[in-house]
Amino acid sequence: MLWLLLLLPLQALGAAEKTLGVPPDLISKYVPSKSNTWTCLDGSKEIPWDYVNDDACDCADGSDEPGTGACPNQPFYCKNEGHVGSFLPSSRVKDGLCEPNCCDGSDERPGVCKNVCQEVGQVYRKKVEEENKIRKTGSKIRSTYIAYAHKEKKRLEGVIETSAAEIAIQEKEVVRLRDIAERSESLSAAALELKQQSPLYISLITHSNALKSLQREHKKYLQREKELGNILDALRTGYNPNYQDMAVLEAVRGWEEIAGLPHINDVGKDSVSEEEAGIEEDTASEVAETKEEVDDEMWTAEELDKDLDDLLNTDYVTLLLEHDEYVQSVPEGSVLFDIASYLPDSIAPQYEEFKDTLVSWLVNLGIIKGETPSSTDTSRSRQALTDAENRLNKIKKEKEDAENDLKEIFNIHGYGLEGQWKKLDGTCLRTEVGDYTYEVCLFGEAKQIPNKGGSTFSLGKFASWNPSPDVKPGDDTYYGKQIYNRGTRCWNGPERNVVLLLSCGTENTLNSVVELEKCEYQFTGTTPALCRPLDNSEGKNGQYANAGKDEL
Amino acid sequence: MRSVALFGALAALLALPDVLAVKSHDFKTCSQSGFCRRGRALAARAQEAQSSWESPYWVEPSSISVSPENSTIKASVKSSLYPEIKFGLELRIHDDGVVRVLLDEVDGVRKRYDEAASWALVSEPKLSKSIRWAVGKKELRAAFGKKNDIEIIVNYEPLHVRLRRGGEDQIVLNGRGLLHMEHFRSQTSKETVEEVASDENGEGQEVLQTENVRAWFEGDSEDAYWEEKFSTWTDSKPKGPESLSLDISFPNHGTVYGIPQHATNLSLPSTTGDSPSYSDPFRLYNTDVFEYLASSPMSLYGSIPVMHAHSAENTVGVFNAVGSETWIDISYPTKKSTHTHWISESGIMDVFLLPGPTPEEIFAQYARLTGTTALPAHWSLGYHQCRWNYVSSDDVRTVQKRFDEEDMPVDVFWLDIEYAQDHKYFIWDHKTFPDPIEMTNDVAAAGRKMVVIVDPHLKRTSDYPVYQEASDLDILVKPKSGEGEYEGWCWSGSSSWIDHFDPASWDWWISKFTTTKIDTGFSWTESTEDVHIWNDMNEPSIFNGPEITMPKDSIHYGGWEHRDVHNINGMLFHNNTAQAVRVRSDIPKRPFVLTRSFYAGSQRVGAMWTGDNLGTWDHMAVGIKMVLANGIAGMAFAGSDVGGFFGNPEPEMLVRWYQVGIFSPFFRAHAHIDTKRREPFLLEEPYKSIIRDILRLRYSMLPIWYTAFRENSVTGMPIVRPHYVMFPQDTAGFNIDDQFFVGSSGILVKPVTEKEKTEATVYLPEDQVYYDYFTQHAYRGSSKGKHVAVAAELHQVPVFIRGGSILPTRERPRRSSPLMKLDPFTLRVALSKAGTARGELYLDDGITYSHQQGELVWREFVAEQPQKKMTRISSKDLASQNPTKAVDGVALTAYDPKNAFAKEIEEVRVEKIVVLGLSSKPSAVKLESGADLKWEFVPGVAASDKQEGTASVLSIKDPKVLVTADWAIVIS
Repeated sequence: MLWLLLLLPLQALGAAEKTLGVPPDLISKYVPSKSNTWTCLDGSKEIPWDYVNDDACDCADGSDEPGTGACPNQPFYCKNEGHVGSFLPSSRVKDGLCEPNCCDGSDERPGVCKNVCQEVGQVYRKKVEEENKIRKTGSKIRSTYIAYAHKEKKRLEGVIETSAAEIAIQEKEVVRLRDIAERSESLSAAALELKQQSPLYISLITHSNALKSLQREHKKYLQREKELGNILDALRTGYNPNYQDMAVLEAVRGWEEIAGLPHINDVGKDSVSEEEAGIEEDTASEVAETKEEVDDEMWTAEELDKDLDDLLNTDYVTLLLEHDEYVQSVPEGSVLFDIASYLPDSIAPQYEEFKDTLVSWLVNLGIIKGETPSSTDTSRSRQALTDAENRLNKIKKEKEDAENDLKEIFNIHGYGLEGQWKKLDGTCLRTEVGDYTYEVCLFGEAKQIPNKGGSTFSLGKFASWNPSPDVKPGDDTYYGKQIYNRGTRCWNGPERNVVLLLSCGTENTLNSVVELEKCEYQFTGTTPALCRPLDNSEGKNGQYANAGKDEL
Repeated sequence: MRSVALFGALAALLALPDVLAVKSHDFKTCSQSGFCRRGRALAARAQEAQSSWESPYWVEPSSISVSPENSTIKASVKSSLYPEIKFGLELRIHDDGVVRVLLDEVDGVRKRYDEAASWALVSEPKLSKSIRWAVGKKELRAAFGKKNDIEIIVNYEPLHVRLRRGGEDQIVLNGRGLLHMEHFRSQTSKETVEEVASDENGEGQEVLQTENVRAWFEGDSEDAYWEEKFSTWTDSKPKGPESLSLDISFPNHGTVYGIPQHATNLSLPSTTGDSPSYSDPFRLYNTDVFEYLASSPMSLYGSIPVMHAHSAENTVGVFNAVGSETWIDISYPTKKSTHTHWISESGIMDVFLLPGPTPEEIFAQYARLTGTTALPAHWSLGYHQCRWNYVSSDDVRTVQKRFDEEDMPVDVFWLDIEYAQDHKYFIWDHKTFPDPIEMTNDVAAAGRKMVVIVDPHLKRTSDYPVYQEASDLDILVKPKSGEGEYEGWCWSGSSSWIDHFDPASWDWWISKFTTTKIDTGFSWTESTEDVHIWNDMNEPSIFNGPEITMPKDSIHYGGWEHRDVHNINGMLFHNNTAQAVRVRSDIPKRPFVLTRSFYAGSQRVGAMWTGDNLGTWDHMAVGIKMVLANGIAGMAFAGSDVGGFFGNPEPEMLVRWYQVGIFSPFFRAHAHIDTKRREPFLLEEPYKSIIRDILRLRYSMLPIWYTAFRENSVTGMPIVRPHYVMFPQDTAGFNIDDQFFVGSSGILVKPVTEKEKTEATVYLPEDQVYYDYFTQHAYRGSSKGKHVAVAAELHQVPVFIRGGSILPTRERPRRSSPLMKLDPFTLRVALSKAGTARGELYLDDGITYSHQQGELVWREFVAEQPQKKMTRISSKDLASQNPTKAVDGVALTAYDPKNAFAKEIEEVRVEKIVVLGLSSKPSAVKLESGADLKWEFVPGVAASDKQEGTASVLSIKDPKVLVTADWAIVIS
């Protein structure tokens, strides 16, 4: 009897060794057969029960060594009593290190690691609690976002409704005005055509066209110069001598000479921006100097920039008519054409008719030229029509925008099925990293703004949520990532772009910015829009599953 | 003009081509180098003159003196061109038969640089004491060697030196009469000559005639004697012409190897003679060649002027200890002979003739001269993950986390230049690396290390203490004036360079790496002993210098010009850094310092890599050849950047490159800042899992690699060995450089370096069985050599075990190599045709120098057939048998098998033994001490069979034998 008593605990110990590293749901499979054998879990082989957890790999699937690490790729289950259980890869078993997620130390030889599950569990629970607290607060804010979206929806619907009504009214007004304008124009069209044959007018139009073309080309070159300047500035400050390219150095020096900048070597990159601020003033004064040399009648660069557009917006037809009035001036039309103003209102219509007949008769006789007094009326009615049309278009645009916004509000690919993102449209988050401030306006544009002056680069415009095909649209990983692309192109590199990684937080913040590859930025931030309300089931069962998954 | 130039440059910038290409115009060809031009012209005149050509150099027989110990003779040498100039010849015979031949100008206007050998040699060679010189009327000679079959003969008129074996010439110096040591002269004398010529016609004629007398040899013009222009640079050449031309012939050797570093075949292609492979000579001039070509004689980052000449009969070698720029022409006048012509810009002639006669003995002879690879820190044989750049300490942590999540082993994370504020090395950019020590500790927590770059260019700002201290100590290289500080342009902008030739710089530089505060200035307190170092750009690379390096007329310690020491420069920086890392801890630890530039002797210091390669298949392939070439020149701890530095390799190429990488002594992945990230965890399946398996294969084989490093450290035998080293008599293997053996282990590898391959052809050089490492398929070689086709799908790298080998591996995947310390071993016993096998295992703590006190384990595993139908596998202690040969540089008098390290791993066992090629199923497998073992047998072909097919496999399950203990297992 005594030996039986002695044997029992030994057997119990043996059983514990055999199931070391076995997860609870598989414990039942780790029992010997009657003939004291055991079958690999994949059924590939029958081995003596002794071989289980004997620190030598026998099964192809590794299932005979759940607790020793002898088989590669065989997960080790760490019970972590007092905390949550978790799986370790076999590479962590008996490697001499105490794993944070195997707080009971069961993965190591006895005596290597203390059981710290009480402490770890406490810390973990506290962390989960804190996270839940954040999520709770965040989800409250999130619900205000959703409420906002609904309010916004109503507002937009209101906008659409009122716009529709206004459109109806405005459309009628346009029809009426168009009728008037067309009527008066049809009268004057022939006359106007004749006037437009004037060599002066033709020349004016030609000049105007030429000037417009010149302005277009000029702008193109200004833009191009600016871009080249940006490229060269970036080259100068970011000049990467790895290319070990004297051509690059030559280009930098050439640019510095043209732009009047000191050599980058002499100022150092940090002080570049300050230097440049000074330089800009210098060049400004240089420009002022050159301005003085320009003839009085000639336009300055500033005037060209500011006033040329106004000049080119001149309504040449009106000008033509005004010109005619000015040239033919008062005596010719004074009596005849102004008679109407002396007539009582009741006779006026008849007078107009009579006048038209008389005038055409006189014209036919060649006594007076086919000038009509209605030319100014024509341009006025045309102006009224244009104004009305513009108003109509504006309202239509407002309606269209509202309709589009409405479509996006509850779009899974837009502001989310619940509209939780609508509130953040245009919200700009900023953070300072090194010499730059990084800004992302959600659903807008991301930018890199130098703190000490210099040009701001676009890092891209909002393109999509997480585009990975593995991600299901609408879930947290989908909304956890935004892509901004097609920013300013890097010198000798790609267009800048941003991956914005978001997680649940009580505030909308931008926390970090890293340029992991050249011109590819990774932003991380938080937003309440990602704080979904806690399920009752979460925080208990969910944790266990997650803890396991994280490690495998 | 300015604007035109600018727009030209702009156009070039905007139209940056995708095609990567070397900037050949940045580097000289021979025709752009004055002394090379002169040297080649001399050879051309000799060629034209044919048999009428005779060297003007001759020995004065009356001047010959023999040293009292007999090993050394000295003699005066004259040139009939300049009878007033004196030269001194000296021959020394070392006790291992190496002959050192020195020639210098005596009592010249100036002194030739004569210190190259003193930097290269590990110690003063021991001279032989048993030489009998026979001084004859026309020649002097001596016979020596174990069999007295080596002869050295010096012919007096003309001067030539021959090394003979068995009555046949092996190495001949000046046999073609191309020896020319340009003596020092003063420029004024030349001007006087010109003046004379223009003043008085008669005398001028005479002068011209005198010149013509020399013209048959020297040519008519003084080509680039006193000044030389290249692109926008002018080399002032204040010392005038001082080049050395020397022909070295191998009349009985048709293949030459060595003179790294060049991106070319291992067996060196010709540069002169009939339809040469290259038009320029091989060049040795350490340069930072941007996007170098995959096949070119152009110089690269390092230079080792050592050459093997090989034939089926024997192997000889030469080590030409010169530190200045050197060009080497190679031609093969017949299939069985080789001519070489070495043209150096300055320095004495100091040539070591290595008599061989086997490759193994050449390695030993060269190792006795310049030393062997220091036994590296064990972790440095693991996988190194590098990129230009991991941008922040959090980036480093994330990369580490991703490796762990994917369960991919890695030992080292690297930081390139962007960690340093304004590229002031040591000075962390705290905006991105706010917590360098905590970051390092986080990496070290998993047994890993960091390697951080420290380049030699010091930013010239007073707020950089390292520069300021060096400036105050006056230890910076000086410009040609000899005053002040040389200033050049590099990463850090305007920079200066420490003159490591100045002994005053040594202790100072070493103190910079101390991790605690020091009284004497800056020390790297923001680092820990887990930070090791990368020395890049030490050619030196200087962006605005001639050929991207330092002007040759810059001045070093002792007044030597940079031209004299250029190729040695990088080694000194590397050496001092390694010393610093070694001594910064209380108990010295093995430093890991990677260098890009190297010279003969650099192997004593640390590892090198093949520089900034391209992500192309060509570069992948030539990287293997370059690593082999470095290995035979002593620089064994070598590797190429996995993935290629430039470009974005597609996943297939990356996988193949990892397969190459795990079979390189040094295994690092690296990438340029403009490339996409390509850490293995970023790949899609199946590539990701394939690379995980590749990494794990490297780690499982670490015992094999470490054992090979021990052997190299003692014998100089390369870590990766080309065919001619393994099978010197197999002529079919002489040109093979795309497959190789790992140490003495018996592993043969043929990495696939071509796109979309599914099959590889492997050459088996002997009548032996070779087993596929993975499938156990037995292939049969032939004594005439045989090619076999093997499957090489993307996940397969052709690896074979040579019959007769026993491989110790550790098969449990770990996060890093230090975590494998207590893991059990697996032994693969690959039986030879004769049913025998042998293997070795070397272990020590891998970190300190305690192995030099005998704290090590060195075992031999043997499989033999003591009687018919019985195989006995045993483990023996090699260290006790050969204590004097266990450790490099230390002759242990005794070995204690119970030393402290052995005790630390005493529980480490052999968990599995796999025997390949048994002829039949055993009836019993037992420990010799009696216990029955558990085993399984899968029938298959036997080692002794003739047919091919899967070999029989006996798996012995957990024999519970300890790796530190003697044991034997009997299979009957």
